[in-house]
Amino acid sequence: MPFLKFTSITKRFPGVLALDGVSFSVERGTCHALIGENGAGKSTLGKILAGVYSADSGQLFLDGQPIAPSSPLAARELGIAMVHQELAFCPNLSVAENLCLGDLPRRAGGFVDRPALRARARAMLATVGADIDPDTIIGTLSTGREQLVQIAAAVGTGARIIVMDEPTSSLSAAETADLFRLIRELKARGLTLIYVSHRMEELFALCDNITVLRDGHHIATEPIPSTTPARVVTQMIGRELRAQTPAHLTRDLGPIRLAAENLASPGAFTDINLVVHAGEIVGLAGIVGAGRSAVVQALFGLDPAVTGQVRVNDRPLALGSIDSALAAGLGLVPEDRKRQGLVLGLNCRENTALAALPLLTRLGLVRRTAERALAERYAKRLRLKTPSIEAITAGLSGGNQQKIALAKWLARDCDVLLVDEPTRGVDVGAKAEIYQLLDELACEGKALLVVSSELPELIGLCRRILVMREGTLVGELPPASFSGAALMQLMAGLPAA
Amino acid sequence: MLARLRALFRFQESGLLLVILALGVLLTAFAGTVRTPVFERAADGSRTRVFTANAEGERVPLLAEKNKFLNAQNLAQLAKDTSFIAVMAVGMAVVIIAGGIDLTVGSIYALASVVGALVLHRYGPEGLIPSVSPALGIVLGAGACLGVAALCGLATGGLIVALRVHPFIITLGGMAIYRGIAFVITKGQSVGAFPAAFRDFVRFEVGDGLSFVPLATMIVVLIVGWIFLSRLAAGRRVYAIGGNELAARFSGIRVERVKLGVYLISGLCAGIAALLSLGYYGAATSGDGQGYELNVIAAAVVGGASLTGGRGSALGVVLGALIIQMISSGIVILGIDQNYSQIIIGSVVIAAVVLDNLNTWLAKRRLTAAAH
Repeated sequence: MPFLKFTSITKRFPGVLALDGVSFSVERGTCHALIGENGAGKSTLGKILAGVYSADSGQLFLDGQPIAPSSPLAARELGIAMVHQELAFCPNLSVAENLCLGDLPRRAGGFVDRPALRARARAMLATVGADIDPDTIIGTLSTGREQLVQIAAAVGTGARIIVMDEPTSSLSAAETADLFRLIRELKARGLTLIYVSHRMEELFALCDNITVLRDGHHIATEPIPSTTPARVVTQMIGRELRAQTPAHLTRDLGPIRLAAENLASPGAFTDINLVVHAGEIVGLAGIVGAGRSAVVQALFGLDPAVTGQVRVNDRPLALGSIDSALAAGLGLVPEDRKRQGLVLGLNCRENTALAALPLLTRLGLVRRTAERALAERYAKRLRLKTPSIEAITAGLSGGNQQKIALAKWLARDCDVLLVDEPTRGVDVGAKAEIYQLLDELACEGKALLVVSSELPELIGLCRRILVMREGTLVGELPPASFSGAALMQLMAGLPAA
Repeated sequence: MLARLRALFRFQESGLLLVILALGVLLTAFAGTVRTPVFERAADGSRTRVFTANAEGERVPLLAEKNKFLNAQNLAQLAKDTSFIAVMAVGMAVVIIAGGIDLTVGSIYALASVVGALVLHRYGPEGLIPSVSPALGIVLGAGACLGVAALCGLATGGLIVALRVHPFIITLGGMAIYRGIAFVITKGQSVGAFPAAFRDFVRFEVGDGLSFVPLATMIVVLIVGWIFLSRLAAGRRVYAIGGNELAARFSGIRVERVKLGVYLISGLCAGIAALLSLGYYGAATSGDGQGYELNVIAAAVVGGASLTGGRGSALGVVLGALIIQMISSGIVILGIDQNYSQIIIGSVVIAAVVLDNLNTWLAKRRLTAAAH
């Protein structure tokens, strides 16, 4: 008898059939991968299991018993917990307070029993081998450590099934390795994990079985050893993905567009020297915290403390001012599209035009036809999937939001585009489209500096890759020596093998 | 036809219009009637009672029966009362959409009033330079009133930007400071005796007692506010900053400058309302406009401006101001004890925000559903 069984799960949202008769089983003590493009329904399925949504029809069976978790609390009582990307904790409270928030140990008179609180939190942290002081304020922990606390909360309250939604999307390489070790250990202890992710390598390294969803349909559930990444990708998108060599690599480089000399910012990075030519895509690799984002943000004028010389199109750039960066023709597609890239309450048209407003304005009035034409043009070019350019961006999928975050800077026609994590949390189809777009931009003679944590992305896209470690540049790789291993060694500071 | 109708219902402010319509119908239905004397206008503009003879042949005033709510005088009164609040509410809407709050408007209203009044007084019948040129006096007085209001707004905005303190705190302080200044410069005395022409202009009536100038001012402010918010690049920046300040900054928007601008606009709107009041009431004291900030914020919130920023419209807040005034006037007309009026208005504000939250929640649920 399967441990957990989904039978004909159907979930309809207004206008969308998110899940259409999905049936499959999960074995006890396994790590079960759930994969699919954005909108395939994998998050909805995870949320139904965790009690966030309830299914319109179909039935869940746990250990042969029909279950219908009506709330996250009800799911918890059944032993099902979810580890989110979003804030699950109160960032201003301590680890111990967060872990026991639902049931604070109390003394007579309602006073919190601090020693008991600490002891209980320490016991919960110990179940996942987490070396975290229970008095630490959650907000001061890194994403990876916070996630560990979430897992401790789940395991410590007796969860039997843990749903993880994109757990590694903002973890460093070392944190990811720690997480994998922990997942294997939990599995050995008999816990069952549902692992939702876009990252194929991880799934193949970690999981026992894989379920592929496409457009709300169940496509396949197979043991990992009997499938291949290529096969899964085909199942996900329903067609073959062609591996392409970007066209810009065969073209000649133009003049130097961006040159930075001795760029430094106290506490963030020092001694950064780099050039990017017209028609070139330069990658900036490094583990999380190496200072990559800080460098591109400083180039864009967001860091008032930065020193050094930057020349754009051979003219000196005044540092620490977004205005002069914009005037020089720089654009920045930031790391976190929801926080930094988009105004989610505005619609696609308004977001696309946001950075280009000065170009679309006559006597202070926004030229509406020009604005609409601009938004339509980029929606078409980037193959934006939206009912209308007047749709609110909050309702779009991650891939489509990322396209708008890019369109915003294309609309300004920047000479130099700084792109921080171009495809984070974006599905495979949209990823390929974004790569193609970046390639086209390079072919048009733009200079691109791309920061990414996904090494295959940099390897497949760039002409040169610069590697940062602890705030300095530690190496530069030409295409001939592109390899994941070479990059990882530089990033982590290991001696060459 | 059906599509038209549907478009009307999808129109953002249609809910507010429905509420106003419903309130109007209810007030008309329950107001009852009153018998009032009939006036007629003589050739020189003065109003005289009309008399008639009763059954005994005595000369008695002619009385006409009319609805307590739905009559020209009451509607004219409602229009005037709404104008003052609505003008300020448009300014408040701009601040709120940008993600801020402005508690100073009542105090700016008072300070701008008394400064304008001091200037107008000098050119008035009791002033030092009477009747030199009333027109010059009126222009200087109006300039002083609006100028002081704009300066106050700029000062508020400047402090918020420079000190990086939450606008609630800065404007809470500003509220006390501006009113304090108004008290100090007038020593708490009422200032009146303005050039007569000014009062005559603002109180100029059309039809059955409708003050034209406040109403026209409100409409102009509404149109300018609407153009600013929905058509100007500056307005778009206001929405962007209220929606996501960090993303706005990353888009190259000069956030500080826009913030300075929105408090300037709010101050200026308070100044325009102050100017109207100078003309209408013919005097000012430092105690004027006490508590207006709450009425104005209530109007903006009832009119759909979201206190979390990024959402709202000029038309919405003007309709919100109308709803608040209709309820206040309804309390009088329906003969409800005046002491209950604050309780009722407070409840209405809370109910409006709860309904709005519910609406946002439903919309969000539709959105997240569509994304999965």
